[in-house]
Amino acid sequence: MPSNTKYGRATLISALFVGGGQIYSRRYWAGLVFACLFYGSIGLMLVIWTGVNEAFWGLIAAWILVWLYNVYDAFKGANYHKPPCEKSCPAGISPWIYINLIAADNDEKYPHVPFFGTLEHICPAPCEDECTRRGIDSAVAIKYLKRCVSMEEPPTIERKRKEKIAIIGAGPCGLSAAYSLSNKGYDITVYEREEKPGGILTTLIPSFRLPDAMLNEEIENMLRERVELKCGIEVGKDTEFEDILREYDAVFVAIGAWKATTLGIPGEENALSGFDVLRKIKEGKTFKLGRVGVIGGGNTAIDVARSLLRQGNEVSIYYRRRIMDMPAEHEDRIEAQEEGIEIVQLTTPLEIHKDRVTMTKTECLEGRAGAVGLVKGSEYEVEIDALVITAGQWPESSFLKDHLKTDKRGRIVTKNGKTSHPKVFAGGDAVLGSATVAHAVGQGLAVADRIDAHLRKVPGFIYNILRRDFLPAIKLIPMRKAQRIEIPHRKIEERIKDFAEVELDASNEDLRNEACRCLTCPLKFRP
Amino acid sequence: MSLKRIIQTIATVIQNAYIPAIFAGGIYQGFLKRACTPILNCWGCPLALFSCPMGALQHFIGLGLIPFYTVGFFGTVGMLVGRMTCGWICPFGFFQDLLYKIRSFKAELPKPFSYFKYVVLIGVAGVIAYLTAEPWFCKLCPDGSLIAGIPLVLADRTGDLRALVGWHYYMKISILLAIIVLSVAMKRFFCRTFCPVGAIYSIFNRFSLLKLQIDDKRCIRCESCQTKCPMHVPIYRSPSNIDCIRCLDCVKVCPTNAIKHKVR
Repeated sequence: MPSNTKYGRATLISALFVGGGQIYSRRYWAGLVFACLFYGSIGLMLVIWTGVNEAFWGLIAAWILVWLYNVYDAFKGANYHKPPCEKSCPAGISPWIYINLIAADNDEKYPHVPFFGTLEHICPAPCEDECTRRGIDSAVAIKYLKRCVSMEEPPTIERKRKEKIAIIGAGPCGLSAAYSLSNKGYDITVYEREEKPGGILTTLIPSFRLPDAMLNEEIENMLRERVELKCGIEVGKDTEFEDILREYDAVFVAIGAWKATTLGIPGEENALSGFDVLRKIKEGKTFKLGRVGVIGGGNTAIDVARSLLRQGNEVSIYYRRRIMDMPAEHEDRIEAQEEGIEIVQLTTPLEIHKDRVTMTKTECLEGRAGAVGLVKGSEYEVEIDALVITAGQWPESSFLKDHLKTDKRGRIVTKNGKTSHPKVFAGGDAVLGSATVAHAVGQGLAVADRIDAHLRKVPGFIYNILRRDFLPAIKLIPMRKAQRIEIPHRKIEERIKDFAEVELDASNEDLRNEACRCLTCPLKFRP
Repeated sequence: MSLKRIIQTIATVIQNAYIPAIFAGGIYQGFLKRACTPILNCWGCPLALFSCPMGALQHFIGLGLIPFYTVGFFGTVGMLVGRMTCGWICPFGFFQDLLYKIRSFKAELPKPFSYFKYVVLIGVAGVIAYLTAEPWFCKLCPDGSLIAGIPLVLADRTGDLRALVGWHYYMKISILLAIIVLSVAMKRFFCRTFCPVGAIYSIFNRFSLLKLQIDDKRCIRCESCQTKCPMHVPIYRSPSNIDCIRCLDCVKVCPTNAIKHKVR
């Protein structure tokens, strides 16, 4: 956090003179009230003093309470109720703060968050679903506004600690944990199976969603001077997990979810796997398949379909639930439909042949959300040249089985980041199954704190009490009646031909206007 | 300044408007003291014009009499507006509102504390007052120490009151200190946890003539009402919560106008 020294000095001043630290950090009312309470009550007691008695100790207790609250207040700074956007962010970002910094043209910068630019491109934006402004007209474009946030440089590493930490997997979760832990002064070694760091971001996500240049810059930011990266080493094959356990003080497992699920239907060996297709496209292979069917409704399905479309194939997506139930990002799905990808809902494959697929219709069952049943007698055949299956992934944690507790699907069982082994922590998709990048970043940062607390032997709740949130001086902006910004896109005819980015930059003025739509809920609705 | 703040200021002044006390000393003992104000406001305050219903209730309980007048008074006000007087005319509530406005570290009060005020009402202001025949809640009340105890002892000219200062006075001051600090940290800490007047009115919240109504179709569950609420009540879930003080801030703040107040 940016102004640690300032808060530290305020705490010291407050410990010596009650209320002084608050005045030092320019909260005059708080300082005045605390000083009046403490010194005023002492003065009152001096005026009416009639000697020590039993209740005098109660008075001492009250003074200690005032002093403690005053010191803690100086340490933590003012806080507010968390607004819905901040509550719902899996990565722990406070959108209302950066939006307000844009809107008020503030000089202060938002503290560095790992993969901030990446999250601008690939996040399902749960904050926009929860935005209070939705109740009035439509949500603030929180995700798009990340584009013009001025962010601080990563802080310089000041402290040094002698403990060494190993991180398995250089994906979004592992790298953000490495970044956070290296800031705290630890020596980090990151083991990565692939030749390049970045995990799912570099190997799978197509570049029309995530520009390569920005991604490489962000990954370089993560790899600080005290982070050693060992690429091309697969734990369990090239080195043993036991050796790592012996060598390091703590191990963080962020291996992600890479084992594709099978559908369990006849002829599945004729189909391609979504991950393979994406990886090969990213490596530079061109697929000329003709008519392609994609099974599934997640982000992978949409990515595969849009990538194949850009290589000149004719693509349709088959999903077993309704279109509105698709877990893929809403915007991406609409962009895909605009580009001419047909989405067939309530359909699932029964049998896969070389040149055709037997499909059947499904129906939504009442009662349970998401449950579907097959409609008897509705089988029909679709002639397609290739079928790609993207039906979810689960972690591949067989090499950890002797050391850690895992569940049926291969997910590592954790509690607050701790696994069944005292030295081993886990996070990201290896714990959650296949979730989003935002979840991975958030877990990486959270588990990094847990590891820090564990190595310093501080109980978790005390570590939480002593953690501070970032809060700049914020100006209130009057509410504006304005419509949500229309995010500029490239023309459909152009964008289906290459892999360049689809979303374009908007003018600074438009972005400022959009930021002014924020209601700054925690400030406005303060009593 | 909002209407609520104006009314709170005016009500605080009216309830404590006996100016001669500043020059002459002593407390007002005239005709108006026979009437109760519908909220907690210490009758020992040199400026107070009306008597405190909680003090009156305990006084009669201590004498072993049934306090028909105060019970009827509580019942009438409660049936009409529920806890509205807490939100609009209570001076001590106003004081706590102002304390919470200070920019500082804030905490949330766990829900079960809301029920502690019934323990205070029945235990301290009921049973103990009956057994000892003394108004024990008044002896601990932070409002009493703030507006009566401190000014009376400081402005004492004869020295009689100063001679009485002992462990009891020390205790009152420490309770007041603790409650002021906790009201800076939490919304209306005293009202939610200790206030017996609020406890009596809160029983009527369910039946009162004036009540709040939620339009479930319009409510988007944004929780702005709870954030704005001076008692931190989840009003969109429980419009007749025991802690709702009918200040009607939620009606103003609701972005979809889902909350309405109505007289049934």
